[in-house]
Amino acid sequence: MKRFFQRLRNHSKLAYFSFWFLVFFYIVSFFADILAPYHFDYQFRNKPYQPPTKIHFIDESGHFHIRPFVYNMIIDDPVFRTYREDQSTRYPVKFIVNGPERKIFFVFKTSKYLFGVDEPAGIFLFGTDTYGRDIFSRLLYGGRISLSISIVGVLISFTLGMITGGIAGYFGGLIDQILMRFVEILMVFPSFYLMLSLRAMFPLNLSSIQVYFLIVLILSLIGWAGLARIIRGMVLSIKEEDYVLAAKSLGLSHWRILFFHIFPNTFSYTITALTISVPGYIIGEAALSLLGLGIQEPYPSWGNILSSTIGNLKVVGDAPWLLLAGVFIFAVLINFNLLGDALRNVLDPKNW
Amino acid sequence: MEKILEIKNLSVIRKQKEKFVPVLNDINFSIEKDELFCLVGESGCGKTSLALSIMKLLPKSFTVKSGEIFVNGKNILAMDEQSIRSMRGREMSIIFQDPGAYLDPLFTIGVHMKEAFHGDTKQQQVLMTSALKEVGLEPYMLHSYPHQLSGGQQQRVMIAMALINKPSLVIADEPTTALDILTTYQIINLLDTIRKKYHPGMLFITHDLKLATKIGTRTGIMYNGYIVEIFIPGKTRPAHPYSSILMGTEYKYSRISEATLSWQSDICPFFEKCPERDSECEKQIAFTWYQDMTGIRCIKHGRNSQV
Ligand SMILES: Nc1ncnc2c1ncn2[C@@H]1O[C@H](COP(=O)(O)OP(=O)(O)O)[C@@H](O)[C@H]1O
Ligand code: SF4
Ligand SMILES: [Mg+2]
Repeated sequence: MKRFFQRLRNHSKLAYFSFWFLVFFYIVSFFADILAPYHFDYQFRNKPYQPPTKIHFIDESGHFHIRPFVYNMIIDDPVFRTYREDQSTRYPVKFIVNGPERKIFFVFKTSKYLFGVDEPAGIFLFGTDTYGRDIFSRLLYGGRISLSISIVGVLISFTLGMITGGIAGYFGGLIDQILMRFVEILMVFPSFYLMLSLRAMFPLNLSSIQVYFLIVLILSLIGWAGLARIIRGMVLSIKEEDYVLAAKSLGLSHWRILFFHIFPNTFSYTITALTISVPGYIIGEAALSLLGLGIQEPYPSWGNILSSTIGNLKVVGDAPWLLLAGVFIFAVLINFNLLGDALRNVLDPKNW
Repeated sequence: MEKILEIKNLSVIRKQKEKFVPVLNDINFSIEKDELFCLVGESGCGKTSLALSIMKLLPKSFTVKSGEIFVNGKNILAMDEQSIRSMRGREMSIIFQDPGAYLDPLFTIGVHMKEAFHGDTKQQQVLMTSALKEVGLEPYMLHSYPHQLSGGQQQRVMIAMALINKPSLVIADEPTTALDILTTYQIINLLDTIRKKYHPGMLFITHDLKLATKIGTRTGIMYNGYIVEIFIPGKTRPAHPYSSILMGTEYKYSRISEATLSWQSDICPFFEKCPERDSECEKQIAFTWYQDMTGIRCIKHGRNSQV
């Protein structure tokens, strides 16, 4: 593992950065319940489309304060939604604040968050949306859903593709024929229509958790077939390698050989392919959300935050911070691609 | 003496473009405990196929047409996959030609050694280290990856793996062909030391007749899937025309082109290339055995002359 990081850094500083950037994103969104100042559906009804809150160190009379503070923002002109700062009261930014109880991933309870300010002021790092909800908090919670969908989806695809392709390629014969015909049938359908028709098989009014698992399932069912085919091809060639013959001559079992000698030798390819395919899951979820078939309001995902923005293009010009979800999707996509490209070389044992 | 390996009337064919091609024909020989049987022949004559038949690891396109193979008295061709697997590595093991290709590039030497070891796990670490020392490697190499070792070191690892369970039959398929001349001698010396220590039956396959006569207790000459002669180096002199050519004594080897695969099965296998052939040879020639477990497949040359 240590050597892996060394190799990654030596190979490409950029990809090394991408790796930690993605780790950072995943960790931050995982801990959304602690890091977000507001719950994702907490609304400031009198603050729709508020621009990002300014954080001050120096007050209007020129005094410096060690503790940063914000001012309450009041709507100046309800038609054009222009805001002004009410400088009569300072609201210091507080760290480790108490608030309504939240459940971290539905399990651990917490009523302390990393930071916040007293109401009626609000701290909106990335501004607010139509309902006066904090975009920063929603992006954190949305990231948790979008990013976890992608990871869980990739893991399911990986497992299905690996086992199906591995068994088909290694044992060959009738099993191979049956599995591959099945895979080909799945691959015949264009993935977008397959996604829609799979979604259409289920009712629209599912609970959010059901929708979450349904999306994971749909996306990974689409992803695994292509992977299975490629892995089968790789297994076909790897099983003819001399080290596989040597492993057999040591008296190892078929399963041992498949799992310890054949699969690992596909990893330099599969891990790269999977890394590059992660953004596809985020985008797949976004596409479903855009059609109103994905995660439903008030639950946030990067996909539905972005789609509610795109459905409301008029205001984007005045409130460009609404597009940040798109920026996040794009950033994650770029970084996964950079990382995937580097992994192709780093995982190749010939370069060790 | 205790027979470690016994092969009776073994014939193997291979499917090639819907046609069956003979690979091994009428193979008969046995190896005793502490014996070093060398098998010599040009490339493509079926040496590796013979080795893989014994391990029951022939490629899918190969079929055993007839014959029996006994290892430690067990008829391995009649055994199921599960029982043959428990013999591999424990009772019989094989060392291959190109050591680099036979080690999985993803795993350290230590992982390979662990896989090869089939004994009490409590002793594993101790035995692994001593096995490495025995083949002249340092214990720290357990943490090395195959590509970090030289060809000679890789072959030492393969030998350590093949011998870690003290098998009674060790097959070495051209173990030095991929190595330089100095490393070759080191590996040969190592195999010799190990043989003197554990006394396994050893099948040593090589294309180098000089080497075979130097180290072997008995030597078989193979041509086109047939064993044409078996002799005892230092005691009997090879007499078969093909052996003579290999020895470089009587005929110019360069005049002999590569063996053709399309031969007639009902005449002497060497007929087409034999400088001494005549019409008498145009019939099936049986292998003639002598008292000392040597023999020849030729009607012109009888009993090997004494040295
Ligand atoms: N994996 C294989 N598949 C098909 N044919 C093979 C394979 N390996 C060897 N052969 C063929 O079998 C014959 C015997 O080969 P082999 O036993 O490897 O000879 P040797 O080891 O003496 O060089 C050759 O004609 C060779 O072309
Ligand atoms: S039997 Fe005849 S053809 Fe065959 S090796 Fe002897 S002399 Fe040559
Ligand atoms: Mg060979």
